[in-house]
Amino acid sequence: MWARRFMALGLLLAALPAAAQKPDCSLAPGWTQHGPARSFEPDNLFEYMDGNAEGYLLYRFVRMQGVTCRSGGDTIVFDVSEMADPEWAYGMFTANRDPDSPTEPLGMGGQILPRKATFAKDRYYVEFSAEPEKDHRAALRAFALAMEKRIAGRSRPPETLGWFPPERLKPDSVRLVPESVLGLRLLQRGYVAEYEFGKAFLVAESSPEAAAGLMAKLRARFTGNEPAAVADEAFRAADRYLGGLCFFRKGRYIGGFANLKEGEDAAGAAARLAARIP
Amino acid sequence: MKGKASRRSFLTAGLAAPVAGLARRTMDVTYGGSTQAPAAAPVSYRTLGRTGLKVSAVGFGCMITSDASVIERAAEAGINYFDTARGYQGGNNERMVGAALKSRRKQVYISTKTHGASKQAALADLETSLRELGTDYVDVWYLHAIGNPAQLTDGALEAQQTAKQQGKARFVGLSTHSNQAEVIQAAIRTGKIDVVLAAYNFTLYKTLEPALEAAAKAGLGVVAMKTMAGGFRKARPGTELHAKLSREGAMLAALKWVLRNPNVHTTVPSMTDMDQLEENLKAMVEPFREADQQILAEHLRHIAPLYCRGCNRCLDQCPQGLPIPDMLRCLMYAEGYGEFALGRERFLELPPRAARVHCRDCARCAVRCPNGVRVAERLKRAQELFA
Repeated sequence: MWARRFMALGLLLAALPAAAQKPDCSLAPGWTQHGPARSFEPDNLFEYMDGNAEGYLLYRFVRMQGVTCRSGGDTIVFDVSEMADPEWAYGMFTANRDPDSPTEPLGMGGQILPRKATFAKDRYYVEFSAEPEKDHRAALRAFALAMEKRIAGRSRPPETLGWFPPERLKPDSVRLVPESVLGLRLLQRGYVAEYEFGKAFLVAESSPEAAAGLMAKLRARFTGNEPAAVADEAFRAADRYLGGLCFFRKGRYIGGFANLKEGEDAAGAAARLAARIP
Repeated sequence: MKGKASRRSFLTAGLAAPVAGLARRTMDVTYGGSTQAPAAAPVSYRTLGRTGLKVSAVGFGCMITSDASVIERAAEAGINYFDTARGYQGGNNERMVGAALKSRRKQVYISTKTHGASKQAALADLETSLRELGTDYVDVWYLHAIGNPAQLTDGALEAQQTAKQQGKARFVGLSTHSNQAEVIQAAIRTGKIDVVLAAYNFTLYKTLEPALEAAAKAGLGVVAMKTMAGGFRKARPGTELHAKLSREGAMLAALKWVLRNPNVHTTVPSMTDMDQLEENLKAMVEPFREADQQILAEHLRHIAPLYCRGCNRCLDQCPQGLPIPDMLRCLMYAEGYGEFALGRERFLELPPRAARVHCRDCARCAVRCPNGVRVAERLKRAQELFA
């Protein structure tokens, strides 16, 4: 008897966090659910996101739950995507946010536009799309704020963001690149930041030894490179597509600058970035 | 149930022997690129149907590209067809593609897409696309992900004609991922669609090739997408399977397989890095060889246990009398070919017991497939998907 009760309690507790992440039309007053709830996994996301599923799978998509909400003649499509971890959820947000519009302190980061709202919190990426064409910001904000409160867990953006020097950094330009950073397969996954004078990147390897091995491969790739005095090791080079660049290694991190405008000090910029890595 | 072709014939017919008439009709042009462009990879061009555009046989699907330098390098290497969509990366993809190609806008063709179903919504999307791409016209403007002829609404088609008249879209098209053959036939019938963009690869062709041929014969341009990913759906970058397939040259083999078909005028494989680009460029100069055939056949053998080969030896084994081969075929349409709508449609044509009798109700499955198909598991999956 007790065993059964414990089991039931366990199941209930296990279900609670999942329920908290479920989209719910009653989160905003005056809205009701229209039609059944939706649920998708990587194998069938294409049924819903036909033509755009890859963009989710790239960010280690795990599952999506969604509902369509209505109030009068307005419709809001409310989807919650679970990604593999908070970093991927944040990455999904950075890839999809509008760089010309301000972000909001919603979870790890959010944005509320006239017909669309998005935010990432913990390992969840939440999206709202509104119809018809008009300014839906009040309703979107009400939904987003209520949902953000429901989701427990991480609401700080990844620490790495703070390592990019703020001088001449384009606002809200740091994003997670899920594969081939700078178009280089060797740099599998990392952050890229846009500066007024070029772009910076930061990739974490599993160990200093792995990072040193990767640096050797990068040196071989950029022939004619010259050593630079930055962090543990560094080199400068010029590439037709990546322009003037300087890559360095500090411990298990590889970072640097590329596409630097003429006259910019590549090694100096790289050194400023390296100095901020703990 | 229509279409009694066996899984074996589905899987191997297109690989075992070159399809009749698939001689390449290409115009090979060596691109005079820079010394840093892949020197050993001349680009071949084909004509995109009645549009007359001379497009590189390998184009560039920009959807998941993160760095503009790869797009710039592709353009420099001679690739001249670049595909994006309003919805990719929340609109950021168009912005990146536009910036990457701005300096060579007249030398390249850019296609984008809209999900807008009404005339007003579609045209509003186009205005946004033009602004984000930094151009005053697109070369091909697609209606995005049409899965049913009914989605070809008058409003959407009117929007396309208006865009052409205004010079904002040189040509118009539709993209389709599901129910493709039917959608393509519908596109031909409209007489207004210039280009179709369809998912086509070595695992996904039997139902599609007649439609592609009909489209090409009718003068439509044919663009193939999912040329590799569709065949290696589970092979995500970073996985061991992906690494293995890359090492073996499976990705290149799959792209070369698509290019054998002269009814395909260009392809838009996704590319995220320079290595992929250089590999894909090779597809335009290397023929599809016996070794490629073996690589793809090996992959098909790997996935074959999931699919019915149509021997029908299971027919009398199920005590509930389920039409096992037909149910498995529906699942193959959905999972193997990505044709979910077709799979569901065919499933709903089956006797009602296919949906009513649940495999999970049997304590033990009596069916033993001589080819090793995990029948009970697969039937449960079919019922989950369609019933």
